[in-house]
Amino acid sequence: MIEVQNLSKSYGDFTAVDDVSFACRPGRVTGFLGPNGAGKSTAMRMIAGLTRPSKGTATIDGVEYTAIPNPATQVGVLLDASAQHGGRTGREVLTIGARMMGLPASRVDEMLALVGLTDKEAKRRVRNYSLGMRQRLGIAHALLGDPKVLILDEPANGLDPAGIHWMRRLLREYANRGGTVMLSSHLLHEIQIIADDLIVIGNGRIVASGTKEELLRVAGTRVRARDMAALESALTAAGLTFEVAGDAVTSTASPEEVGQAAADAGVALVELRESDSAGLEEMFLQLTSSNQRDVITTEGVPA
Amino acid sequence: MSTATTDPTIDLSRPGVPFGREVRVEIRKMIDTRGGVWLFAITALFILLAMGLTLLVLGLNEDATITASGFGEIMALPVSILLPVFAILIVTSEWSQRTHLTTFTLQPHRGRVILAKFVAVTTLAIGTIVAAAVFGALGNALYGVITPHDPVWNLPVADLAWIVAQQLLFFWMAFALAMLLLNTPAAIAVFYVASMILPFMVYPILMAMFQWARDLLPWLNMDYAVMMVRTEATFLGDPIEVGVVDYLRLAFTVTLWIVLPGLLGALRIRRTEVK
Repeated sequence: MIEVQNLSKSYGDFTAVDDVSFACRPGRVTGFLGPNGAGKSTAMRMIAGLTRPSKGTATIDGVEYTAIPNPATQVGVLLDASAQHGGRTGREVLTIGARMMGLPASRVDEMLALVGLTDKEAKRRVRNYSLGMRQRLGIAHALLGDPKVLILDEPANGLDPAGIHWMRRLLREYANRGGTVMLSSHLLHEIQIIADDLIVIGNGRIVASGTKEELLRVAGTRVRARDMAALESALTAAGLTFEVAGDAVTSTASPEEVGQAAADAGVALVELRESDSAGLEEMFLQLTSSNQRDVITTEGVPA
Repeated sequence: MSTATTDPTIDLSRPGVPFGREVRVEIRKMIDTRGGVWLFAITALFILLAMGLTLLVLGLNEDATITASGFGEIMALPVSILLPVFAILIVTSEWSQRTHLTTFTLQPHRGRVILAKFVAVTTLAIGTIVAAAVFGALGNALYGVITPHDPVWNLPVADLAWIVAQQLLFFWMAFALAMLLLNTPAAIAVFYVASMILPFMVYPILMAMFQWARDLLPWLNMDYAVMMVRTEATFLGDPIEVGVVDYLRLAFTVTLWIVLPGLLGALRIRRTEVK
């Protein structure tokens, strides 16, 4: 089990990871979801002992990564698939890992077969690999030592849809055998396909966590009125929490409560329904758009 | 199946990675890239070229003679020109190619990684100087065959030890600068400017012209400091009596170019965050 407690990392004034706590359980694939720059990679590097936390602890079965003897045979780590020497062949990358871990050379062939890299591809220099091939190589490397725990940063990045489903099967079987998997992604649909549990991180903080079903089932109501200002004051008067989302208002209250509040205030509704299972998606979108870089500007024709 | 999931997953009683294995992996990493293969091939070419040219000159020149010692010196040249790049790349390529992410997850104790690389570099330095000695002996034997002179087998142990020591100092300097700078072009530039370009092209002029250069420069250049102790002469060939000051000068230059950058570099590698 990967356990992270009150983990923080600051760089000067900037807090990349802010008092984060979560756990990844054996037998489950835990998705670590967040927009770019949310602190996913920093958190994962701290778990793998590459970055020193400013505060808090990250342990695997109660042990810090750096205290594990021959750690790669117990915890498989892939932090960046493109971080490989371009002048080495794929096979050589795995051979170095196998030598270091003290594994027989046959293990390299097994892993190449497992991730679907052909003999010919394995003899090519990594420089000539596509991102998808690098990901497969990185996963092969993480699995080399037959670890019980896997930590994968953006492993599905660069994979085509078939590749993503291949990875789901691979990780599913791995978890079914009792393995613990933590993988990150900045794409909700990727993680929806692969993960059982979700941890959503934004601006260094955990904003949601739970099983995928729980999070996707988030109940809520979507409501629109011709007079939106009146609707908002009606909901405020009824003590209901809500958020303005585009031209509508979403509330965590049930449609019944929202409808009653509107009726009490005499506000005519245009739309009232249970929101789609888009709770997570919406939350995720908000996280993403609160990031200055992603504000969409209209590239209008000069007047 | 649920029992499998409650099994403790981390086994703290497993053996760690033995140091010898780490060194062997680091040596392998120096030569398993395309760049590494080319560097070795070019060096081999230099060695053959140096041997061929020396024999050509000797063969065409009845008066010219050489000894095993001389041959050893000549053969040490090609292996000291390009090979220190290996000592630099073994460190800096981890940063430029970002393989340090993998290296430091396979061995989280960075001090151990540095030590393994240091031993690998030292092994390479000694291995290449032995190869140079073998080629030197070969050249010397050929010299006996193709010229009317008899080969002179006179490589005193002291000379051989100095050749090895100088090769080691060169490699260690390259390694230390690489750790300090963690950047391939910067480390290569500083190393070659400091160890080859300045002492061969700039310092001689300054030393011929100025007294202060003759006083100061041996303190800044490891090669000069070594030569003064080894040949018991100044740069200009005036004999000196080697004393405490000369050994002190040698120790100072070694500190300046190896110990200091090495320590600071090791500290930097241990502390720096790899991304």
